[in-house]
Amino acid sequence: MRVMEKLMEILEDIQPDADFDTCETLIDDGVLDSFAILSIVSELQDEFGITITPADIIPENFNSAKALWAMVERLQEA
Amino acid sequence: MSLVSMEFLLFAAAAVAGYYWIPKRCQWMWLLLFSYIYYASGGIRVTCFLLFTTLTSYAAGILVEQAAEKIPDKKKAKRRGKQVLAAALLLNFGILGVLKYTNFALHTVNGLFGTEFGSLQFLLPLGISFYTFQSMGYLLDVYWGRAKAEHHLFRFALFVSFFPQILQGPIGRFSALGEQLYASHPFDGKRIERGCLRILWGYFKKMAIADNAVIFVDAIFGNPELYDGLGLMGVLMYSIQLYCDFSGGMDVVIGIGELFGIHLDENFKRPYFAVSITDFWHRWHITLGTWMKDYVFYPVTLSGWMKHFSKFAKKAFGKQTGRTLPICLANLIVFFVVGVWHGAAWKFIVYGLYNGLIIAFSGLMAPAYRNWKKALHISDKSRAFHLFQMARTFVLVNISWFFDRAEDVPTAVLMMKNTLRRLDFRQVLEPGIEIGEASGTTFTVVALGVILGGCLLLFAVSVLQEQGKDLAEIFTRQHWLVKAAVYLCLILALPVLGQPSGESGGFIYAQF
Repeated sequence: MRVMEKLMEILEDIQPDADFDTCETLIDDGVLDSFAILSIVSELQDEFGITITPADIIPENFNSAKALWAMVERLQEA
Repeated sequence: MSLVSMEFLLFAAAAVAGYYWIPKRCQWMWLLLFSYIYYASGGIRVTCFLLFTTLTSYAAGILVEQAAEKIPDKKKAKRRGKQVLAAALLLNFGILGVLKYTNFALHTVNGLFGTEFGSLQFLLPLGISFYTFQSMGYLLDVYWGRAKAEHHLFRFALFVSFFPQILQGPIGRFSALGEQLYASHPFDGKRIERGCLRILWGYFKKMAIADNAVIFVDAIFGNPELYDGLGLMGVLMYSIQLYCDFSGGMDVVIGIGELFGIHLDENFKRPYFAVSITDFWHRWHITLGTWMKDYVFYPVTLSGWMKHFSKFAKKAFGKQTGRTLPICLANLIVFFVVGVWHGAAWKFIVYGLYNGLIIAFSGLMAPAYRNWKKALHISDKSRAFHLFQMARTFVLVNISWFFDRAEDVPTAVLMMKNTLRRLDFRQVLEPGIEIGEASGTTFTVVALGVILGGCLLLFAVSVLQEQGKDLAEIFTRQHWLVKAAVYLCLILALPVLGQPSGESGGFIYAQF
């Protein structure tokens, strides 16, 4: 749970005006632009020791905080 | 065969008629046949380049997929896939580079070292940038596991050569376009009607607005010293011409796609309503922007050397700036490529970097902007602030158009200086000043009136579309008499409002 809190902290630091608690269309509705996406990627890589490749940057992985967390878990297991 | 010709309209009409007449399972073959007839009508030798790209990307797609599936050692499989991908990218972008940029490179070397290399004559296959980008995007998708390789050579050939889009895009993605091209499409009257309306609207934008604006653009940009008081008018006219030319062409292309039951990606979303340069690139030439984002911007930012730079930047400049700097650098690389893509000249590189620098600067300043807006109680939802952002973006975009359209960078700078120093719209009406081949005050006033009227109509339509209204849907629900009147008006307007010579120029982006 603490790890999810860390993720939320990263997201809110990068895009303070977005609603990460409920929004499930962060990419589809243009809430996150490519700068924000890559800032999130940079922080996630540093914080969780994962490697995110261009193949992982798809809307399904970035549309919500939950989806992001699922991607982090998957990449940690890989 | 230009999109603006009776020849093309008859060709497209024959293609559509046969498409719904033959058995549905043969529809994709019919499209392939017509696509190759269309392309080969531009010359058999250039068709060889299209065939080369088709065959190499088809074979590479299968080899990349087989490497991932059949080589048990993951590292070896990845290495093999990478080798095949690199070879295909090198071959195809290599051909594009040699054909488009050799002379630019030779001139630059001559300028730098005083050498005297002469220009070389190359064939430049029409639409080579578009079909190369589309094919290489497919290959990268297969490599990243986002798409399955197409194993049917002729089906793949259709994806690369689909005739409405091959000359000026939109750049399609295999995942969205492939299935549509190969599927059966029953006759759908409503869709045909929407397609026809879209085509006519595209021709209106191109022939009535862009082809009139180009007369002023060519005259003013061709004689910047003579028309030193018309710099502002020149760039505004170019704004209008470029948008109506390119988006009008896209309307025709997308409309023809609809006639076959195929939905092509939108390439424009009312770009002059953008509130920032980033937003502008989300609305202008959208498929090139998303291609660059997915296949250049993300891979460059996530590359190993950029990760090292990111670590260094975070240590040197702190977390926030350090995180953003590598993204800004990658963004500059992307816009350098966008500039080069637009043409083999330094002015296009300046044009690309100008856009890249503004976006990078905005990215770096984003936290400061947020704080300033908070301190000044400015809300993003405020109408006045929204209008200010639109006006600011429009000015910034128009500055970039000087570089895009002027002969070279010094001429662009001279025209910008003249725009600030002197404003004299009367120059356009002075007797003796010729505007292109046509001349005379009456002609000028009529042409300006047509452009103004066309732009007002375009603006009204754009505002309604921006509000989310589906005008084509509303149109199809009207009484047939109303629809017939609108069709008739648009059809009659084209020869009357178009260029006096009655001949429409080619599309700007068909030269890419």
